Amino acid sequence: MDKFEPKIVAFFCNWCSYAAADLAGTSRIQYPPNVRTIRVMCSGRVSELLILKAFALGADGVLVGGCHPGDCHYMKGNLSARRRVTGLKPFLNAIGISSDRLRLQWIGASEGLKMAETISDFTDTIRNLGPNPLKRRQK
Amino acid sequence: MKGDMYLAQSSDDAILKKSEHGGVVTSLLKFALESKRVDAVLAIKARNGNRYDGIPVLITDPETVIETAGSLHCASPNIARFIKEYLNGAFDMKIAVVCKPCDARGIIELVKRTQINMDNLTLIGLNCTGTLPSAPAKRMFHEEFEVNPSDVIREDLEEGKLTITLKDGTEKQKDLDELEQKGYGRRENCRRCDINIPIMADIACGKWGTDGKKATFIEVCSEKGSDFIEKAIEAEYIKVEKPDSRAIESRKKRNEEEILLARKWQEKDFASLREMSTEEKFSYWLGEFSRCIKCYGCRNACPICYCKDCILEADRGIVAPGEIPPDVIFPMIRSVHVMDSCVNCGQCEDVCPMDLPLARLILMLNRELGNIFKNEPGMDVNAPIPLKSVTDKELTVADVEIQF
Repeated sequence: MDKFEPKIVAFFCNWCSYAAADLAGTSRIQYPPNVRTIRVMCSGRVSELLILKAFALGADGVLVGGCHPGDCHYMKGNLSARRRVTGLKPFLNAIGISSDRLRLQWIGASEGLKMAETISDFTDTIRNLGPNPLKRRQK
Repeated sequence: MKGDMYLAQSSDDAILKKSEHGGVVTSLLKFALESKRVDAVLAIKARNGNRYDGIPVLITDPETVIETAGSLHCASPNIARFIKEYLNGAFDMKIAVVCKPCDARGIIELVKRTQINMDNLTLIGLNCTGTLPSAPAKRMFHEEFEVNPSDVIREDLEEGKLTITLKDGTEKQKDLDELEQKGYGRRENCRRCDINIPIMADIACGKWGTDGKKATFIEVCSEKGSDFIEKAIEAEYIKVEKPDSRAIESRKKRNEEEILLARKWQEKDFASLREMSTEEKFSYWLGEFSRCIKCYGCRNACPICYCKDCILEADRGIVAPGEIPPDVIFPMIRSVHVMDSCVNCGQCEDVCPMDLPLARLILMLNRELGNIFKNEPGMDVNAPIPLKSVTDKELTVADVEIQF
Protein backbone atom coordinates (compact mmCIF):
# COMPACT_ATOMS: atom_id res chain seq x y z
CA MET A 1 0.00 0.00 0.00
CA ASP A 2 1.22 3.47 -0.82
CA LYS A 3 2.36 5.56 2.06
CA PHE A 4 -0.24 8.20 2.84
CA GLU A 5 0.90 11.65 1.81
CA PRO A 6 -1.53 14.31 3.04
CA LYS A 7 -2.78 17.00 0.75
CA ILE A 8 -3.16 20.27 2.58
CA VAL A 9 -4.87 23.36 1.23
CA ALA A 10 -3.35 26.50 2.69
CA PHE A 11 -5.04 29.88 2.43
CA PHE A 12 -2.37 32.53 3.03
CA CYS A 13 -3.03 36.21 3.26
CA ASN A 14 -1.23 38.38 0.76
CA TRP A 15 0.39 40.67 3.32
CA CYS A 16 1.82 38.39 5.98
CA SER A 17 1.60 34.63 5.60
CA TYR A 18 2.15 34.55 1.86
CA ALA A 19 5.18 36.81 2.28
CA ALA A 20 6.41 34.50 5.04
CA ALA A 21 6.07 31.49 2.75
CA ASP A 22 8.02 33.43 0.15
CA LEU A 23 10.66 34.26 2.70
CA ALA A 24 10.93 30.63 3.78
CA GLY A 25 11.56 29.76 0.15
CA THR A 26 14.14 32.45 -0.58
CA SER A 27 15.88 31.61 2.71
CA ARG A 28 16.01 27.97 1.59
CA ILE A 29 14.27 26.69 4.69
CA GLN A 30 13.03 23.15 4.07
CA TYR A 31 9.40 22.26 4.65
CA PRO A 32 7.18 19.37 3.49
CA PRO A 33 5.80 19.66 -0.05
CA ASN A 34 2.29 18.64 1.02
CA VAL A 35 0.91 22.15 1.03
CA ARG A 36 -1.04 23.65 -1.87
CA THR A 37 -0.95 27.36 -1.30
CA ILE A 38 -3.78 29.65 -2.32
CA ARG A 39 -3.12 33.33 -1.95
CA VAL A 40 -6.01 35.44 -0.73
CA MET A 41 -5.95 39.14 -0.11
CA CYS A 42 -6.89 38.68 3.54
CA SER A 43 -7.59 35.76 5.85
CA GLY A 44 -10.97 37.45 6.34
CA ARG A 45 -11.73 36.38 2.77
CA VAL A 46 -11.62 32.73 3.78
CA SER A 47 -15.28 32.02 4.29
CA GLU A 48 -16.84 28.86 5.69
CA LEU A 49 -17.62 28.00 2.10
CA LEU A 50 -13.97 27.96 0.98
CA ILE A 51 -12.92 25.78 3.89
CA LEU A 52 -15.79 23.30 3.51
CA LYS A 53 -15.37 23.18 -0.26
CA ALA A 54 -11.72 22.26 0.23
CA PHE A 55 -12.76 19.41 2.51
CA ALA A 56 -15.55 18.32 0.17
CA LEU A 57 -13.07 18.13 -2.71
CA GLY A 58 -10.86 15.87 -0.65
CA ALA A 59 -8.31 18.05 1.13
CA ASP A 60 -6.93 16.23 4.15
CA GLY A 61 -6.28 19.43 6.02
CA VAL A 62 -6.94 23.14 5.68
CA LEU A 63 -4.48 25.70 6.99
CA VAL A 64 -5.45 29.35 7.25
CA GLY A 65 -2.60 31.80 7.66
CA GLY A 66 -3.18 35.41 8.65
CA CYS A 67 -1.48 38.42 10.14
CA HIS A 68 -1.10 38.76 13.89
CA PRO A 69 -4.03 40.62 15.48
CA GLY A 70 -3.41 44.33 15.11
CA ASP A 71 -1.28 43.86 11.97
CA CYS A 72 -4.10 43.17 9.52
CA HIS A 73 -3.86 45.28 6.40
CA TYR A 74 -7.62 45.68 6.57
CA MET A 75 -7.73 46.22 10.34
CA LYS A 76 -9.96 43.33 11.43
CA GLY A 77 -10.03 40.77 8.64
CA ASN A 78 -7.96 38.28 10.60
CA LEU A 79 -10.32 38.60 13.56
CA SER A 80 -13.20 37.48 11.35
CA ALA A 81 -11.09 34.50 10.28
CA ARG A 82 -10.50 33.62 13.92
CA ARG A 83 -14.22 33.70 14.71
CA ARG A 84 -15.05 31.57 11.68
CA VAL A 85 -12.45 28.93 12.41
CA THR A 86 -13.52 28.86 16.06
CA GLY A 87 -17.11 28.39 14.95
CA LEU A 88 -16.36 25.75 12.33
CA LYS A 89 -14.48 23.43 14.67
CA PRO A 90 -17.55 22.21 16.60
CA PHE A 91 -19.29 21.63 13.28
CA LEU A 92 -16.46 19.53 11.87
CA ASN A 93 -16.36 17.50 15.07
CA ALA A 94 -20.12 16.98 15.02
CA ILE A 95 -20.23 15.49 11.54
CA GLY A 96 -17.18 13.31 12.02
CA ILE A 97 -14.43 15.25 10.31
CA SER A 98 -11.93 15.87 13.08
CA SER A 99 -11.53 19.56 13.89
CA ASP A 100 -7.75 19.01 14.04
CA ARG A 101 -7.86 19.04 10.25
CA LEU A 102 -8.51 22.75 10.35
CA ARG A 103 -5.88 25.06 11.72
CA LEU A 104 -5.48 28.80 11.96
CA GLN A 105 -2.05 30.28 12.46
CA TRP A 106 -0.81 33.84 12.69
CA ILE A 107 2.40 34.14 10.66
CA GLY A 108 3.98 37.56 10.19
CA ALA A 109 5.83 38.49 6.99
CA SER A 110 9.21 38.08 8.68
CA GLU A 111 8.49 34.67 10.19
CA GLY A 112 9.80 32.33 7.50
CA LEU A 113 10.99 29.85 10.06
CA LYS A 114 7.64 29.79 11.84
CA MET A 115 6.00 29.10 8.49
CA ALA A 116 8.22 26.06 7.93
CA GLU A 117 7.60 24.82 11.46
CA THR A 118 3.84 25.29 11.16
CA ILE A 119 3.69 23.36 7.91
CA SER A 120 5.87 20.50 9.22
CA ASP A 121 3.86 20.22 12.39
CA PHE A 122 0.49 20.39 10.63
CA THR A 123 1.58 17.82 8.04
CA ASP A 124 2.55 15.44 10.85
CA THR A 125 -0.79 15.98 12.56
CA ILE A 126 -2.69 15.20 9.37
CA ARG A 127 -0.49 12.20 8.62
CA ASN A 128 -1.47 10.77 11.99
CA LEU A 129 -5.15 11.48 11.40
CA GLY A 130 -5.15 9.67 8.06
CA PRO A 131 -6.97 10.58 4.88
CA ASN A 132 -10.03 12.82 4.84
CA PRO A 133 -13.10 10.55 5.15
CA LEU A 134 -14.83 12.53 2.40
CA LYS A 135 -12.06 11.53 -0.01
CA ARG A 136 -12.40 7.85 0.86
CA ARG A 137 -16.06 8.14 0.01
CA GLN A 138 -15.35 9.45 -3.48
CA LYS A 139 -13.21 6.47 -4.48
CA MET B 1 -42.02 50.49 33.31
CA LYS B 2 -39.98 47.59 32.08
CA GLY B 3 -40.29 44.67 34.48
CA ASP B 4 -43.82 45.57 35.62
CA MET B 5 -46.22 42.68 36.04
CA TYR B 6 -49.99 42.65 35.89
CA LEU B 7 -52.85 40.25 36.25
CA ALA B 8 -55.18 41.48 33.57
CA GLN B 9 -58.60 40.79 32.17
CA SER B 10 -60.38 42.07 29.12
CA SER B 11 -63.11 44.67 29.72
CA ASP B 12 -65.04 43.38 26.73
CA ASP B 13 -67.48 40.63 27.66
CA ALA B 14 -67.67 39.18 24.17
CA ILE B 15 -63.89 38.75 24.04
CA LEU B 16 -63.76 37.41 27.56
CA LYS B 17 -66.36 34.79 26.71
CA LYS B 18 -64.56 33.56 23.61
CA SER B 19 -61.04 33.66 25.02
CA GLU B 20 -59.36 30.91 26.99
CA HIS B 21 -58.05 33.02 29.82
CA GLY B 22 -58.19 36.77 30.30
CA GLY B 23 -58.75 37.72 26.67
CA VAL B 24 -56.02 40.30 27.11
CA VAL B 25 -54.17 39.66 23.86
CA THR B 26 -57.31 40.08 21.77
CA SER B 27 -58.24 43.25 23.64
CA LEU B 28 -54.76 44.66 23.21
CA LEU B 29 -54.92 44.00 19.48
CA LYS B 30 -58.27 45.73 19.33
CA PHE B 31 -56.91 48.66 21.28
CA ALA B 32 -53.85 48.91 19.02
CA LEU B 33 -56.07 49.13 15.94
CA GLU B 34 -58.73 51.44 17.37
CA SER B 35 -56.22 53.86 18.84
CA LYS B 36 -54.37 53.92 15.49
CA ARG B 37 -51.11 52.90 17.17
CA VAL B 38 -50.70 50.37 14.41
CA ASP B 39 -51.95 50.04 10.83
CA ALA B 40 -52.60 46.33 11.16
CA VAL B 41 -52.24 43.39 13.49
CA LEU B 42 -50.77 40.03 12.62
CA ALA B 43 -52.28 37.07 14.42
CA ILE B 44 -53.13 33.44 13.86
CA LYS B 45 -56.58 32.10 13.15
CA ALA B 46 -58.05 28.74 12.25
CA ARG B 47 -58.81 28.57 8.53
CA ASN B 48 -62.53 27.83 8.06
CA GLY B 49 -62.73 26.92 11.71
CA ASN B 50 -60.26 24.06 11.32
CA ARG B 51 -58.07 23.98 14.44
CA TYR B 52 -55.42 21.95 12.64
CA ASP B 53 -54.92 24.58 9.96
CA GLY B 54 -53.76 27.75 11.67
CA ILE B 55 -52.82 30.54 9.28
CA PRO B 56 -51.36 33.99 9.84
CA VAL B 57 -53.84 36.78 9.12
CA LEU B 58 -53.28 40.50 8.76
CA ILE B 59 -56.21 42.35 10.25
CA THR B 60 -57.07 46.02 9.82
CA ASP B 61 -60.69 45.94 10.99
CA PRO B 62 -60.93 46.02 14.83
CA GLU B 63 -64.25 44.16 14.73
CA THR B 64 -62.74 41.02 13.18
CA VAL B 65 -59.92 40.75 15.72
CA ILE B 66 -62.14 38.54 17.87
CA GLU B 67 -61.84 35.77 15.26
CA THR B 68 -58.28 35.19 16.43
CA ALA B 69 -59.17 34.76 20.11
CA GLY B 70 -58.11 31.52 21.77
CA SER B 71 -54.90 29.63 21.22
CA LEU B 72 -54.14 27.07 18.53
CA HIS B 73 -51.64 24.43 19.58
CA CYS B 74 -51.65 22.49 16.32
CA ALA B 75 -50.29 25.30 14.19
CA SER B 76 -46.73 26.47 13.83
CA PRO B 77 -46.76 29.29 11.31
CA ASN B 78 -43.53 30.95 10.32
CA ILE B 79 -44.22 34.48 11.55
CA ALA B 80 -40.73 35.95 11.13
CA ARG B 81 -40.38 34.75 7.56
CA PHE B 82 -43.96 35.85 6.83
CA ILE B 83 -43.22 39.43 7.86
CA LYS B 84 -40.08 39.50 5.76
CA GLU B 85 -41.51 37.89 2.63
CA TYR B 86 -45.06 39.19 2.48
CA LEU B 87 -45.17 42.35 4.57
CA ASN B 88 -41.98 43.89 3.23
CA GLY B 89 -40.26 43.48 6.58
CA ALA B 90 -42.70 45.99 8.15
CA PHE B 91 -40.80 48.81 6.47
CA ASP B 92 -43.95 50.55 5.31
CA MET B 93 -46.58 49.79 7.94
CA LYS B 94 -46.85 49.60 11.69
CA ILE B 95 -47.85 46.15 12.84
CA ALA B 96 -48.63 44.57 16.19
CA VAL B 97 -47.52 40.95 16.03
CA VAL B 98 -48.68 38.11 18.23
CA CYS B 99 -45.79 35.70 18.56
CA LYS B 100 -44.43 32.70 20.39
CA PRO B 101 -40.91 32.94 21.81
CA CYS B 102 -39.33 31.34 18.71
CA ASP B 103 -41.25 33.69 16.40
CA ALA B 104 -40.06 36.70 18.37
CA ARG B 105 -36.49 35.41 18.28
CA GLY B 106 -36.67 34.86 14.54
CA ILE B 107 -37.94 38.40 14.10
CA ILE B 108 -35.08 39.77 16.20
CA GLU B 109 -32.51 37.83 14.18
CA LEU B 110 -33.98 39.25 10.97
CA VAL B 111 -33.90 42.76 12.48
CA LYS B 112 -30.16 42.28 13.08
CA ARG B 113 -29.85 41.39 9.40
CA THR B 114 -31.80 44.55 8.43
CA GLN B 115 -34.62 42.52 6.89
CA ILE B 116 -37.31 43.74 9.31
CA ASN B 117 -37.85 47.19 10.76
CA MET B 118 -38.22 46.83 14.51
CA ASP B 119 -39.41 50.44 14.95
CA ASN B 120 -42.67 49.56 13.24
CA LEU B 121 -43.32 46.40 15.23
CA THR B 122 -44.94 45.81 18.57
CA LEU B 123 -44.30 42.26 19.68
CA ILE B 124 -46.98 40.74 21.87
CA GLY B 125 -45.37 37.56 23.12
CA LEU B 126 -47.25 34.48 24.26
CA ASN B 127 -45.95 31.98 26.76
CA CYS B 128 -45.46 28.67 25.03
CA THR B 129 -44.79 25.17 26.25
CA GLY B 130 -44.84 23.67 22.81
CA THR B 131 -46.91 23.10 19.71
CA LEU B 132 -48.25 19.87 18.23
CA PRO B 133 -47.60 18.85 14.62
CA SER B 134 -51.05 19.02 13.02
CA ALA B 135 -51.36 15.71 11.14
CA PRO B 136 -49.83 13.53 13.88
CA ALA B 137 -51.94 15.42 16.43
CA LYS B 138 -55.12 14.38 14.63
CA ARG B 139 -53.90 10.81 14.56
CA MET B 140 -53.05 11.02 18.26
CA PHE B 141 -56.52 12.33 19.16
CA HIS B 142 -58.06 9.55 17.14
CA GLU B 143 -55.92 6.67 18.36
CA GLU B 144 -54.78 7.60 21.85
CA PHE B 145 -57.63 9.76 23.07
CA GLU B 146 -60.20 7.86 21.00
CA VAL B 147 -62.10 10.97 20.03
CA ASN B 148 -63.02 12.50 16.72
CA PRO B 149 -60.35 15.15 16.02
CA SER B 150 -62.97 17.59 14.76
CA ASP B 151 -64.73 17.46 18.16
CA VAL B 152 -61.73 18.92 19.94
CA ILE B 153 -62.25 22.57 20.76
CA ARG B 154 -59.27 23.17 22.99
CA GLU B 155 -55.88 21.70 23.85
CA ASP B 156 -53.72 22.54 26.81
CA LEU B 157 -50.15 21.54 27.62
CA GLU B 158 -49.59 21.96 31.31
CA GLU B 159 -47.49 20.27 33.98
CA GLY B 160 -46.48 17.39 31.74
CA LYS B 161 -50.08 16.66 30.77
CA LEU B 162 -51.95 17.13 27.53
CA THR B 163 -55.55 18.01 28.22
CA ILE B 164 -58.16 18.27 25.51
CA THR B 165 -61.66 19.64 25.77
CA LEU B 166 -64.41 18.35 23.52
CA LYS B 167 -67.46 20.07 22.06
CA ASP B 168 -69.73 18.58 24.70
CA GLY B 169 -67.53 19.89 27.49
CA THR B 170 -65.82 16.66 28.54
CA GLU B 171 -62.12 16.80 29.24
CA LYS B 172 -59.58 14.10 28.53
CA GLN B 173 -56.08 14.05 29.86
CA LYS B 174 -52.98 12.03 29.08
CA ASP B 175 -49.41 12.06 30.24
CA LEU B 176 -47.30 13.99 27.76
CA ASP B 177 -44.19 11.99 28.46
CA GLU B 178 -45.99 8.73 27.69
CA LEU B 179 -47.37 10.14 24.44
CA GLU B 180 -43.95 11.38 23.43
CA GLN B 181 -42.41 7.98 24.05
CA LYS B 182 -44.90 6.64 21.51
CA GLY B 183 -43.85 9.26 19.00
CA TYR B 184 -46.82 11.57 19.53
CA GLY B 185 -46.93 14.75 21.52
CA ARG B 186 -45.11 17.97 20.85
CA ARG B 187 -42.88 18.78 17.91
CA GLU B 188 -39.34 17.61 18.56
CA ASN B 189 -37.84 21.08 18.72
CA CYS B 190 -40.54 22.19 21.18
CA ARG B 191 -39.53 19.41 23.56
CA ARG B 192 -36.01 20.82 23.55
CA CYS B 193 -37.07 24.45 23.81
CA ASP B 194 -36.03 26.11 27.05
CA ILE B 195 -37.50 29.54 26.38
CA ASN B 196 -41.13 29.52 27.43
CA ILE B 197 -41.67 33.15 28.40
CA PRO B 198 -40.96 35.57 25.54
CA ILE B 199 -39.02 38.19 27.48
CA MET B 200 -37.42 39.35 24.22
CA ALA B 201 -40.81 40.62 22.98
CA ASP B 202 -42.35 43.90 24.15
CA ILE B 203 -44.81 42.24 26.47
CA ALA B 204 -45.11 38.61 27.55
CA CYS B 205 -48.60 37.23 28.16
CA GLY B 206 -49.52 33.88 29.62
CA LYS B 207 -51.58 32.05 32.13
CA TRP B 208 -48.86 31.00 34.55
CA GLY B 209 -49.39 32.75 37.86
CA THR B 210 -53.11 33.26 37.32
CA ASP B 211 -53.98 30.36 39.58
CA GLY B 212 -56.89 29.17 37.48
CA LYS B 213 -58.58 32.57 37.54
CA LYS B 214 -59.94 33.90 34.27
CA ALA B 215 -57.05 36.29 33.79
CA THR B 216 -53.82 36.78 31.88
CA PHE B 217 -50.46 37.36 33.49
CA ILE B 218 -48.55 40.13 31.74
CA GLU B 219 -44.89 40.94 32.08
CA VAL B 220 -43.73 44.18 30.49
CA CYS B 221 -40.41 43.57 28.76
CA SER B 222 -39.55 46.85 27.07
CA GLU B 223 -40.27 50.58 27.24
CA LYS B 224 -42.36 50.31 24.10
CA GLY B 225 -44.40 47.57 25.73
CA SER B 226 -44.77 49.61 28.88
CA ASP B 227 -46.19 52.60 27.00
CA PHE B 228 -48.54 50.30 25.10
CA ILE B 229 -49.92 48.62 28.23
CA GLU B 230 -50.32 51.88 30.13
CA LYS B 231 -52.31 53.44 27.29
CA ALA B 232 -54.46 50.32 27.03
CA ILE B 233 -55.23 50.48 30.75
CA GLU B 234 -56.02 54.21 30.49
CA ALA B 235 -58.38 53.58 27.60
CA GLU B 236 -60.02 50.85 29.69
CA TYR B 237 -59.55 48.01 27.23
CA ILE B 238 -58.15 45.87 30.01
CA LYS B 239 -58.61 45.80 33.78
CA VAL B 240 -55.49 45.09 35.77
CA GLU B 241 -54.45 44.28 39.28
CA LYS B 242 -51.01 43.71 40.74
CA PRO B 243 -50.16 40.04 41.12
CA ASP B 244 -49.20 39.04 44.64
CA SER B 245 -45.81 37.53 45.35
CA ARG B 246 -47.33 34.04 45.38
CA ALA B 247 -48.53 34.42 41.79
CA ILE B 248 -45.13 35.69 40.64
CA GLU B 249 -43.44 32.87 42.47
CA SER B 250 -45.69 30.18 41.00
CA ARG B 251 -45.11 31.53 37.49
CA LYS B 252 -41.38 31.49 38.04
CA LYS B 253 -41.54 27.97 39.38
CA ARG B 254 -43.57 26.71 36.43
CA ASN B 255 -41.06 28.27 34.07
CA GLU B 256 -38.13 26.66 35.85
CA GLU B 257 -39.81 23.26 35.75
CA GLU B 258 -40.34 23.55 32.02
CA ILE B 259 -36.75 24.65 31.46
CA LEU B 260 -35.49 21.69 33.45
CA LEU B 261 -37.60 19.32 31.38
CA ALA B 262 -36.38 20.88 28.12
CA ARG B 263 -32.75 20.61 29.21
CA LYS B 264 -33.34 16.93 29.89
CA TRP B 265 -34.62 16.46 26.36
CA GLN B 266 -31.65 18.39 25.01
CA GLU B 267 -29.21 16.21 26.89
CA LYS B 268 -30.94 13.06 25.75
CA ASP B 269 -31.13 14.10 22.09
CA PHE B 270 -27.62 15.50 21.91
CA ALA B 271 -26.00 12.66 23.83
CA SER B 272 -26.92 10.17 21.11
CA LEU B 273 -25.15 12.41 18.57
CA ARG B 274 -22.15 13.12 20.74
CA GLU B 275 -21.48 9.62 22.04
CA MET B 276 -20.65 8.23 18.62
CA SER B 277 -17.00 7.86 17.62
CA THR B 278 -15.64 10.11 14.88
CA GLU B 279 -16.11 7.36 12.26
CA GLU B 280 -19.63 6.60 13.42
CA LYS B 281 -20.57 10.28 13.32
CA PHE B 282 -19.23 10.55 9.82
CA SER B 283 -21.10 7.56 8.48
CA TYR B 284 -24.27 8.56 10.33
CA TRP B 285 -24.34 12.09 8.95
CA LEU B 286 -23.23 11.13 5.48
CA GLY B 287 -26.01 8.56 5.49
CA GLU B 288 -28.55 11.18 6.54
CA PHE B 289 -27.25 13.76 4.08
CA SER B 290 -27.38 11.25 1.24
CA ARG B 291 -31.17 11.11 1.62
CA CYS B 292 -31.44 14.82 0.84
CA ILE B 293 -33.44 15.50 -2.33
CA LYS B 294 -32.34 19.12 -2.60
CA CYS B 295 -35.86 20.52 -2.42
CA TYR B 296 -34.51 23.71 -0.78
CA GLY B 297 -37.39 23.43 1.69
CA CYS B 298 -35.21 23.96 4.74
CA ARG B 299 -33.62 27.02 3.22
CA ASN B 300 -36.95 28.49 2.16
CA ALA B 301 -38.55 27.93 5.55
CA CYS B 302 -35.66 29.05 7.73
CA PRO B 303 -36.34 32.45 9.29
CA ILE B 304 -32.62 33.18 9.47
CA CYS B 305 -31.84 32.48 5.78
CA TYR B 306 -32.32 35.74 3.95
CA CYS B 307 -29.82 35.99 1.05
CA LYS B 308 -31.59 37.07 -2.13
CA ASP B 309 -28.99 35.25 -4.19
CA CYS B 310 -28.32 32.00 -2.35
CA ILE B 311 -24.90 30.40 -2.86
CA LEU B 312 -26.57 26.97 -3.04
CA GLU B 313 -28.56 27.81 -6.17
CA ALA B 314 -27.60 25.79 -9.24
CA ASP B 315 -26.24 28.78 -11.15
CA ARG B 316 -23.74 29.73 -8.46
CA GLY B 317 -21.25 27.01 -9.34
CA ILE B 318 -21.02 25.40 -5.90
CA VAL B 319 -23.71 22.72 -6.06
CA ALA B 320 -23.96 20.99 -9.42
CA PRO B 321 -27.42 21.23 -11.03
CA GLY B 322 -29.51 18.10 -11.50
CA GLU B 323 -27.59 15.94 -9.07
CA ILE B 324 -29.53 14.02 -6.41
CA PRO B 325 -28.47 13.63 -3.66
CA PRO B 326 -26.58 16.90 -3.85
CA ASP B 327 -22.92 17.06 -2.96
CA VAL B 328 -22.29 16.96 0.78
CA ILE B 329 -21.41 20.66 0.58
CA PHE B 330 -25.15 21.45 0.33
CA PRO B 331 -26.22 20.33 3.83
CA MET B 332 -22.87 21.45 5.25
CA ILE B 333 -23.24 25.02 4.02
CA ARG B 334 -26.91 25.06 5.03
CA SER B 335 -26.03 24.12 8.60
CA VAL B 336 -22.99 26.33 8.90
CA HIS B 337 -24.72 29.45 7.58
CA VAL B 338 -27.44 29.34 10.23
CA MET B 339 -25.86 27.52 13.16
CA ASP B 340 -24.70 30.65 14.97
CA SER B 341 -28.21 32.13 15.00
CA CYS B 342 -30.59 29.17 15.10
CA VAL B 343 -33.69 30.08 17.13
CA ASN B 344 -34.91 26.48 17.39
CA CYS B 345 -38.18 27.13 15.57
CA GLY B 346 -38.05 23.68 13.99
CA GLN B 347 -39.33 24.89 10.61
CA CYS B 348 -36.51 23.13 8.72
CA GLU B 349 -37.46 19.77 10.15
CA ASP B 350 -41.19 20.41 9.71
CA VAL B 351 -40.83 20.98 6.00
CA CYS B 352 -38.20 18.34 5.26
CA PRO B 353 -39.83 15.64 3.10
CA MET B 354 -37.05 13.20 4.01
CA ASP B 355 -37.26 13.84 7.78
CA LEU B 356 -33.59 14.67 8.17
CA PRO B 357 -32.78 15.55 11.81
CA LEU B 358 -31.68 19.06 10.84
CA ALA B 359 -33.10 20.96 13.79
CA ARG B 360 -31.37 18.59 16.17
CA LEU B 361 -27.96 19.04 14.53
CA ILE B 362 -28.25 22.79 14.17
CA LEU B 363 -29.55 23.37 17.70
CA MET B 364 -26.77 21.22 19.14
CA LEU B 365 -24.18 23.25 17.23
CA ASN B 366 -25.89 26.44 18.26
CA ARG B 367 -25.68 25.52 21.95
CA GLU B 368 -21.99 24.66 21.54
CA LEU B 369 -21.31 27.93 19.76
CA GLY B 370 -23.38 29.74 22.36
CA ASN B 371 -21.00 28.47 25.02
CA ILE B 372 -17.97 29.59 23.03
CA PHE B 373 -19.23 33.00 21.97
CA LYS B 374 -21.39 33.61 25.08
CA ASN B 375 -24.35 34.31 22.90
CA GLU B 376 -27.98 33.33 22.78
CA PRO B 377 -29.62 34.16 19.45
CA GLY B 378 -32.77 36.20 19.21
CA MET B 379 -32.70 37.60 22.72
CA ASP B 380 -31.27 41.05 22.11
CA VAL B 381 -31.44 43.21 18.98
CA ASN B 382 -28.08 44.76 19.82
CA ALA B 383 -26.17 41.51 20.38
CA PRO B 384 -23.73 40.87 17.52
CA ILE B 385 -24.05 37.83 15.23
CA PRO B 386 -21.21 35.57 16.43
CA LEU B 387 -19.72 34.49 13.11
CA LYS B 388 -20.38 37.73 11.25
CA SER B 389 -19.03 40.40 13.53
CA VAL B 390 -15.89 41.28 15.44
CA THR B 391 -15.26 43.68 18.30
CA ASP B 392 -12.36 46.06 18.94
CA LYS B 393 -11.58 44.20 22.12
CA GLU B 394 -10.47 41.16 20.14
CA LEU B 395 -7.57 43.15 18.67
CA THR B 396 -5.80 42.79 22.00
CA VAL B 397 -6.00 38.98 22.04
CA ALA B 398 -2.86 37.69 20.37
CA ASP B 399 -3.57 33.96 20.41
CA VAL B 400 -5.27 32.02 17.59
CA GLU B 401 -7.70 30.74 20.18
CA ILE B 402 -9.99 33.14 21.89
CA GLN B 403 -12.17 33.14 24.99
CA PHE B 404 -15.21 35.35 24.94
